[in-house]
Amino acid sequence: MPSRSEMGRGGDIAIVGWAQTPMERHTEKSETQLLMDVISAALAPLGLTRADIDFTCLGSCDYITGQAFSFVSNLDAIGAWPPKRDSHVEMDGAWALYEAWLRLQEGDIEIAVVTGSGRSSTGDPSLIYPMEMDPYFLAPLGADPLTFAALQARAVIASGIADERSMAEVAIRSRSRGDVDALLAEDYIREPLRRHDVPPITDGAAAMVVATGDRARRLVERPAYITGFDHRTECHNPSFRALDDSPSTRLAAEAAGLGDGPIEVAELQAAFTHEELLLADVLDLGDDVSVNPSGGALRANPIMATGLCRIGHAADHVMSGGHRALAHSTSGPCLQQNLVCIVADTP
Amino acid sequence: MSTRPCAVVGVGQTHHKSRRLDVSFGGLVREAVFRALDDARMTMADIDAVILGKAPDLFEGVMKPELYLSDALGAVGKPMFRVHTAGSVGGTTAIVAASHIQVGKHRTVLAVAFEKQSEGNAQFALGSGRGASLGAGGAFAPFIRAYIHRSRAPEHIGWKVAVKDRLNALKNPYAHLRIEDISIEKVKASPMMWEPIRFLESCPSSDGACAMVLTDEQGGDAAAADGRPPAWILGASSRSEPASFPGRDPVRPAAALQCAADVYNQAGITDPRRQIDTAELYVPFSWHEPIWLEAFGLADEGDGWKLVEDGTTELGGSLPINASGGVLSSNPIGASGLLRFAEAANQVRGAAGEHQVDGAKVAIGMAYGANSQYFSTWAVGRSLQPFG
Amino acid sequence: MTRFVASTITFPYKRSLGPVVGAFMSALTERRILGIRNGAAVLVPPMEWDPTTGAELAHDFVEVGPAGTIKSWTWVPFPSEQHPLAHPFAFALILLDGSTTPLLHAVDAGSPNAMVEGARVAPRWRGTRLGRIDDIVCFIPGETPETEGDDTGPTEEPVTRMDYLASITYRNPVPDATDRAIEASKDQCLLGLRCPTCKRVYAGGRGYCPIDALELGPDCEVELPHVGTITNFCIVTPVQYPGQTETEPFVRAFVLLDGTDVIIPYAVVIDLPADEVRVGQRVAGVWASPAEEMDEGGGMGGAWGALTGWIPNGEPDVDDPDLVNRIF
Repeated sequence: MPSRSEMGRGGDIAIVGWAQTPMERHTEKSETQLLMDVISAALAPLGLTRADIDFTCLGSCDYITGQAFSFVSNLDAIGAWPPKRDSHVEMDGAWALYEAWLRLQEGDIEIAVVTGSGRSSTGDPSLIYPMEMDPYFLAPLGADPLTFAALQARAVIASGIADERSMAEVAIRSRSRGDVDALLAEDYIREPLRRHDVPPITDGAAAMVVATGDRARRLVERPAYITGFDHRTECHNPSFRALDDSPSTRLAAEAAGLGDGPIEVAELQAAFTHEELLLADVLDLGDDVSVNPSGGALRANPIMATGLCRIGHAADHVMSGGHRALAHSTSGPCLQQNLVCIVADTP
Repeated sequence: MSTRPCAVVGVGQTHHKSRRLDVSFGGLVREAVFRALDDARMTMADIDAVILGKAPDLFEGVMKPELYLSDALGAVGKPMFRVHTAGSVGGTTAIVAASHIQVGKHRTVLAVAFEKQSEGNAQFALGSGRGASLGAGGAFAPFIRAYIHRSRAPEHIGWKVAVKDRLNALKNPYAHLRIEDISIEKVKASPMMWEPIRFLESCPSSDGACAMVLTDEQGGDAAAADGRPPAWILGASSRSEPASFPGRDPVRPAAALQCAADVYNQAGITDPRRQIDTAELYVPFSWHEPIWLEAFGLADEGDGWKLVEDGTTELGGSLPINASGGVLSSNPIGASGLLRFAEAANQVRGAAGEHQVDGAKVAIGMAYGANSQYFSTWAVGRSLQPFG
Repeated sequence: MTRFVASTITFPYKRSLGPVVGAFMSALTERRILGIRNGAAVLVPPMEWDPTTGAELAHDFVEVGPAGTIKSWTWVPFPSEQHPLAHPFAFALILLDGSTTPLLHAVDAGSPNAMVEGARVAPRWRGTRLGRIDDIVCFIPGETPETEGDDTGPTEEPVTRMDYLASITYRNPVPDATDRAIEASKDQCLLGLRCPTCKRVYAGGRGYCPIDALELGPDCEVELPHVGTITNFCIVTPVQYPGQTETEPFVRAFVLLDGTDVIIPYAVVIDLPADEVRVGQRVAGVWASPAEEMDEGGGMGGAWGALTGWIPNGEPDVDDPDLVNRIF
């Protein structure tokens, strides 16, 4: 019988606060400056300083930033002196949180700070992202994320999970503006996707403070306990997958204990409207669940921080009185890899 | 620490070469993975999660390669994680992999690290494509000059380390450099690269991969019962410090000292020189051996070079360093740190073949990255309580 | 108003293909498309491993197509510089005859109205084929393959390598501190910034203290002397790579500025041959005239603007070998 912690739940670890930079189309600040600001902003309300941080884990991507070892400059934002227990993942900050969550369970430290940062306005995503695709068959064609999203959208529409109208409705809900018929009258930019179906370019960073239970309870009234945390991947080439499904999301949610009880809020990293509908379907979210009250990635998409922001918003729900929320992050073409984090008001 | 025991039960690596033209991107990694699985008497189905480490993606021009490699690594339906901490990444990969087991999240995980850097150009990538790249050694030559001055080490110490590691490499079937006629004279006569570092005192640029299977106490005990004693993790730690600020000492970095102290504390090591039987230290340029011997408490400050001088660190000496040939003999950058951790594990498993240090019961593996800023270290033992 | 600097990272990667992709690419030069068997399935494009289990696949190749059926598609109205065609086209998942998985490629359909699921397409082959996925220029409607230009036939040897030119342009902001330092340099002023908390001084346009994670503004500015002592140095023998600018061994020195703890790292030296650099040597800053190019930073040392390097100033050496420890 696997132990509680082996099933993706476990540890008495909680989120006690987080901060995000203003989400801008184009910031004049460097990534390091964004991090400097946001780490200070996350610590200040807790009465903590950088000296109080036992472990840091950063999430960022050299190719987005445009420099090898770009995370080394980001280390300067941490104040790693005296030296810090520190790590870095070339992934969204949501996975940096995962590493910190494991690390805190080792029991010898109390407080971790994780970050996600990226300036997506630095380069052109349509030219950068093909480089994460199969190097022999896909990258040389410049196969870009919009193309893959469109192909998945078609599959999702064909399966009946979404249609162009419900996709437009997702866009309107996310951005708090728009009229369905007016949006549907617009041209496709990558049929069946229209401009409103795709994420904005956003520069931004997020920092989150996580602590072991006892410390968390001393820091805030209502910590958001991480009661389940898991991530799974699928095979890479979308040609080999059924695009009207997201099995890794299902697996991760199961392992994270989604089925253990009801949730009020689901923050899903859906950069495209059809993704939100697909994910909600895969997760079997009822009408009583509020999906992406923050506006999600369709409102602001700070690459490498988008997932961490989802977790932050889910944590906010619990910290401000809610009971249980789910956050999701994703990486790779057509939702190749998916992470689910469940936060609740009790450990 | 309230962590569960974690054991290394399988190690695999590729034949490291300057160019592995015979394999694809996935093929290179799988070569190491299948060797590690075979060594562990396991298959991909036994693995619960995969942790991948690699140096900058600019080296190969494949961004976030864990995505492309998900199916190649048998990770479909499983967690797949990618760490990147510069040169220390291989070490961090092992530490993060072990963390999964130590907190009971998974039972068996696969740690993999690799570099297929011949597809690109290392010097280009290190300088992000700009001219006048300092190259890897350019950043360290000034640190080495400072060490030589402080310690008053004679000039031949670097050459001696270079010879020792390449002679050790001849006993390692996977090592890249196999210089049969390596000698002090040959090293001394080789071209100057970054004064005082000569060509034959420098690491090669290699294509290669390393994989390691880690498992829990039950799995470790099962391997032992099967006559395949595992390497038990006695302690593991990482520390980082900023690249540059007035007052920084890159020769004896605080991050290294603290990383070592943390590992030794966890492992119950109070007298490193006596209690550690062998070490795999990240030595890409010969002089890093005495530098790290001191920073890791294996020699007193200023005396590291004496252990080189008197043969202590040779394979037949009382504290062999880099019996595998080390980074000086094989350097697929992303994998080099994991190779150090893996070779240390193999020593206490008695699985190091011709470069086995007789009777090794406790070993350390160490990796560093960037401007001597990132440090990852672990201590492994033939048993969980090697000091009684 | 922040200044932005564009930089392009370009590299001609050269990949080795391994046995399966190599076979596929070689076959492309013969105008044949191969899939690989995986149990009852035929995988196109062919993989070395089963995409679900990771198991190694036997090299059991099957010729597929050349024609196939469109399973799904999308229209690209504004192709990027990396796309296979420069005019609007469709990307489609094409199930080639005999395959059980679809291949992603371009379809030169002329208009989205011509794209329909179930439609038949065939390859347009490139006349000169190298063994790359774009030996198929794209697919075209119909059953019959065509060849673009003169057909120069298959490659002589099996294909084992593939070129991939990666080129991405980035626009990064130049931090204010960098620009202030560069601006000040035009007046031959070497600007430093003193951290109000730890009192360390940073030069080279570095606008924050990594110890206190504090941004250092104009109120932290201090003017630094232009004279100093070489404490350490590095002589680099250059290796060639795309973008390399050096051909001879070049020096980068560490200069401790008089009366301060500020060390200029990786400083360019002028009129100082590599074999004459020494610890303790006295040097002075050399400033470019306004017409000359500024150092805008991006290298390891920082941004120095008009301060182009350091030149021996003729003063006697400082006799202090311990200076070599002053690196940071």
